[in-house]
Amino acid sequence: MAGAKEVTVVTYRGIFQEVEEALGMYSDGYRDQSAIVSLDGGDIKELGVEDGQPVILETGSGKVVVAAKLSEDPHPGLAFMPSSPWSAQLVSGEVEESGFLDLKSFMAKVSLSPAKEAVTSIEEIAERIKAP
Amino acid sequence: MAFCTGCSLLCDDIEVDFEGGKIGRTMNLCRKGRGHYDSLCVDRLAPTVDGSEVGIDDAVSKAAEVLAGAENLLLFGWGNSTLAAQKVGVEMAKKLGCVIDDPSSYSQGLITETILKGELPTCTFDDVRNFADVSIYWGDDPSSSHPRHLSRFSYFPRGEKRQRGYEEDREAIVIDVRKSPTAEIAADGFFKIPPGGDGDFMGALMATLGGKIPKVEDKKKMLNLGTKLRKSKFGVIFTGLGLAHSVKGELDEFVSLVGKLNELTRFSVIPSLGDYNTRGFNQTLFDETGHVDRVSFKDGVNHGPEFGIAKYLDACDAVMVVGSDPAAVLPASLARKLAKIPMVAVNSHRTFTTDAAKVTVPIAVAGLEAGGSALRTDGVKVEFDAVVKSDYLPDVEVIERIMEAV
Ligand code: SF4
Repeated sequence: MAGAKEVTVVTYRGIFQEVEEALGMYSDGYRDQSAIVSLDGGDIKELGVEDGQPVILETGSGKVVVAAKLSEDPHPGLAFMPSSPWSAQLVSGEVEESGFLDLKSFMAKVSLSPAKEAVTSIEEIAERIKAP
Repeated sequence: MAFCTGCSLLCDDIEVDFEGGKIGRTMNLCRKGRGHYDSLCVDRLAPTVDGSEVGIDDAVSKAAEVLAGAENLLLFGWGNSTLAAQKVGVEMAKKLGCVIDDPSSYSQGLITETILKGELPTCTFDDVRNFADVSIYWGDDPSSSHPRHLSRFSYFPRGEKRQRGYEEDREAIVIDVRKSPTAEIAADGFFKIPPGGDGDFMGALMATLGGKIPKVEDKKKMLNLGTKLRKSKFGVIFTGLGLAHSVKGELDEFVSLVGKLNELTRFSVIPSLGDYNTRGFNQTLFDETGHVDRVSFKDGVNHGPEFGIAKYLDACDAVMVVGSDPAAVLPASLARKLAKIPMVAVNSHRTFTTDAAKVTVPIAVAGLEAGGSALRTDGVKVEFDAVVKSDYLPDVEVIERIMEAV
């Protein structure tokens, strides 16, 4: 389907995100470094997305809007996302038998936001967590 | 000289000038470290009960009340705490007969525990700088997470037997899913693997080292790697979250691979741990119980996955989180569970977790506002003094006061 694609998302920590996190998670700088997903050039084209445009990431566990970033290197079918409260919305809370919790990779649907939704704010994620 | 507690390298060569309580000129800090120093004046935590600001004494007594009323209490965090505070934390868990855990239960706990048990060889960063000729970064990107790792210890510097540094004397190998900044530095030494492909890579490398033809696409590159490792005098594998998550709690193959490397030459393992004193907590709990995380002191010492935060949230009726932000890291469903449990959060800064806590108790930033000691990620103990005056109490004092009040 044009405008939507299943990808494997792998999380990582970025240096600039680390810096912004030290300076406070509620800052715009932290959001700009965290609420992003790096997509393969071919995938981004197939989705009809422009570099920097908001996209919806959705799994059985949750949904967020983050900014798409065009990767310099090819990695079709793979997407990279900084590990943050945004990625945590998408990760399953299911614990493996060994007790291990896989926070590192998961399958997600990435799609264009038809309503041109803005990037999910950190305040909204905080509200979701505290909601009764 | 000042210390930096921005990551578990605990750099000890920092120069800093204070200009009217703010950080002025600094020397030797990386960007992350500078952010850590600058955070001294940003988003500091206030003592609160149910979201309203109170005095520190009231916050401490309310915290004790929350903990004292619990049947199934979890003490969580500790990676950003001094060794003294960690020791009191373990004492407290014993005294209250409760569960204690840290983020290593969903990161590199197993690797650290295997090292502490002596089942994986390890060494210090000074050994790395002086002797290592091969540095393997496996699922690890220290250029982002521990920014001075390569420049102080593992790649660029000259050392006793490595006078020509990275130009001629050292090789960097990166095994990762992503072309990370560390992989960029390794250039031809980068091995790109698919997510979860670490086990297959280990198998192929084992076969190569055993003189067999590896079942991989680029056989030549793998055979060259085998030759390089076999010829090396002293290699070190730095492990990261990528490896820890890929092997999903099954370390046997990795232990066998390191064993094989040690039949051929000398290889050590150093985990790149996240918080500045993760290693300290793991060691402290290990010395007491033989385990690095997920311990219950309810009926003697018990250990298992059921005492890791991810599972124990279902059973526990109160939590104290010290120097950690699980609400920002855990999957949303678990973060929501955590936020519904009466929680005491002890931290220097406002976080997702402190925002969801019933009681918050502020502490000083260790290494800047308070002295103490910690274990670097290679296990070397460092001691630091406060470099700036502060009204915030040191973490150990706050934990002690809460324990006394309970
Ligand atoms: S590498 Fe780590 S300890 Fe060293 S200055 Fe940077 S953040 Fe601080």
